[in-house]
Amino acid sequence: MFKQMKVWLVLTTIFSLAALVSSCGNKTATDTNTPGPDNATAGETYKITGNEGTVTGVVAFNGTPPAPKKIDASADPVCGQQNPNLSTEDTVVKDGKLANAFVYIKDGTTADGKKITALNFATPTDEVTLNQKGCHYVPHVLGVQTNQKLKIVNSDPTQHNIHPTPKVNQEWNQTQPNGAAPIEKSFARAEILIPVKCNQHPWMKSYIGVLKHPFFAVSAEDGSFTIKGVPPGSYTVVAWREGGASGTEKTMQVTVAAKGSAKADFAFGEAASASTRPSLEMMPALDVPMIGRH
Amino acid sequence: MGKRSMIGDWQLAIGTQMNRGVHRFALLVACATFFLIIAGALVTSHDAGLATADWPLTEGRFLPKVESLGIKTGVNMVGNLFWEHGHRMVATTVGILTIGLVVFLSLKEKRTWVRRLGWLALGGVIAQGLLGGLTVKLMLPLAVSTAHATLAQLFFCTTVSLAVFTSASWIESRPAIEEQGSLAVRYVCVAAAATIFLQLVIGATLRHSATWDQPLPTDLLLTHIGGAVAVTILLGSAAFMILRRHSTEPFLARPAKVACSLLVLQLCLGVAAYLTRVASPNDPQPLKPMVVITVAHVACGALVFATTIVLTLRAFKVLRSPESLSVRVQAV
Repeated sequence: MFKQMKVWLVLTTIFSLAALVSSCGNKTATDTNTPGPDNATAGETYKITGNEGTVTGVVAFNGTPPAPKKIDASADPVCGQQNPNLSTEDTVVKDGKLANAFVYIKDGTTADGKKITALNFATPTDEVTLNQKGCHYVPHVLGVQTNQKLKIVNSDPTQHNIHPTPKVNQEWNQTQPNGAAPIEKSFARAEILIPVKCNQHPWMKSYIGVLKHPFFAVSAEDGSFTIKGVPPGSYTVVAWREGGASGTEKTMQVTVAAKGSAKADFAFGEAASASTRPSLEMMPALDVPMIGRH
Repeated sequence: MGKRSMIGDWQLAIGTQMNRGVHRFALLVACATFFLIIAGALVTSHDAGLATADWPLTEGRFLPKVESLGIKTGVNMVGNLFWEHGHRMVATTVGILTIGLVVFLSLKEKRTWVRRLGWLALGGVIAQGLLGGLTVKLMLPLAVSTAHATLAQLFFCTTVSLAVFTSASWIESRPAIEEQGSLAVRYVCVAAAATIFLQLVIGATLRHSATWDQPLPTDLLLTHIGGAVAVTILLGSAAFMILRRHSTEPFLARPAKVACSLLVLQLCLGVAAYLTRVASPNDPQPLKPMVVITVAHVACGALVFATTIVLTLRAFKVLRSPESLSVRVQAV
């Protein structure tokens, strides 16, 4: 009996050590999902020709969308007073149309044979505002160009902290008390998409798409979007929506004629087209039935 | 320590008078540390570690804002600041208590090695505070956060050990008991304690690898489950051997029974924590069932480790190999 115990002792110790070593050494490579080469300064600067067109479309949601979940804001009474009907904004659907989808040109070639991702575009001088109002971020999804100013405003009578968690840009975490001056930041590298959270109010989430070029849009409440000023050419257009670990993407090929308008309609939800893929490699959870959850 | 072994030193302690005040204070420090582990686990489960980027103060302040007490300019303890700043306040209290314990031991404790253990505890709590600050300033890197969680468990065991060493049951003279069988219980206890420590490291890594809104890494999760199997086998074997061979010796049988009961509870809490945690990425915020169960799992893990340390210390105090006992009889 003691011999058997000795064997058990040795085996379990070896097993636990081996398990520890394997867990330390088995790091999964992270897919940064960065569209194309970013921050390229050597490329040619694009000059507006007057032949630019648009990419327009509607993002639909097929099937029954998940109902928004009520947020318990009792941890900060100010939030409850400011916004008594706080709920999740990950799937905002109205009449089968999806809001807050981030649509952008991922890749492609202009009519004169230049890669869109290799061209440089002037950084817009106007700033994009991210507001903290009623203890949620407004807008929920937004896009900026690399190095474009992002102005963060706190309109709430309570303190927030802004914490973007990028993969390729610099991470930062800054407190913004009520009444404090706006915070101005920018992102140097293209990244789809940077989650932004408030560590004081864990339900607060926003997503920032950072691109080297200005060809992106966020779908409105009616699911519509328009990407303006697109050089004539053939492009891969991607629609990204929040959900799962890192969102879901759909892709489409479009051709923009000189001064023309290309159509790119996307559909998420049930029976959506086959080009859907998770935007980042997701860690699968063990398949155990959930008890008592809805 | 030179030629004098630790066991020899313990034996010298026989005859040392137990100081009830020191023991009670050591117990207080151990209980406060256990509460601190719960406070730290609450920070992790609420993803509150970066509720403020400031450290060691929170936005330049330490005292909380309590308008009813006239403190109007302190930290506004709302949202996740409640958990993060609350954790800092509990940690500060434990640090002060540890300094008090070191002073108490320096004045009242005659055993040098116990006083030194007190200093080690003080060094541990200072290092723990610095690691806490470092993880905030570096925005929760996995290695530093895991080290912070691991050192918390080691510090807790140090305070528990101090409570054991200053207790009457440790200081009073006890006859040596002969180890039975070819496999010494003492070494199985050591193996169990070491495996539990590894399991705590894996658990801390798992917890800090993904916030509540991200799925748990499968490889670490499976490793943690494997670790639970290893701990169950080793701690179960140690308890079984003690209860079979020394069931009439409450000095050993009692912690063995407590460790076994806590292990069963911990396994149940582990399953429950998995079920709630794996669903949490779909929740709008960290919900109470997930927070309560995962924090209970962390706390119970600390208790399993502490009980196993107590069991191991007690086993080394009274159990002797037949050879060493016969040598002693001959010497007498």
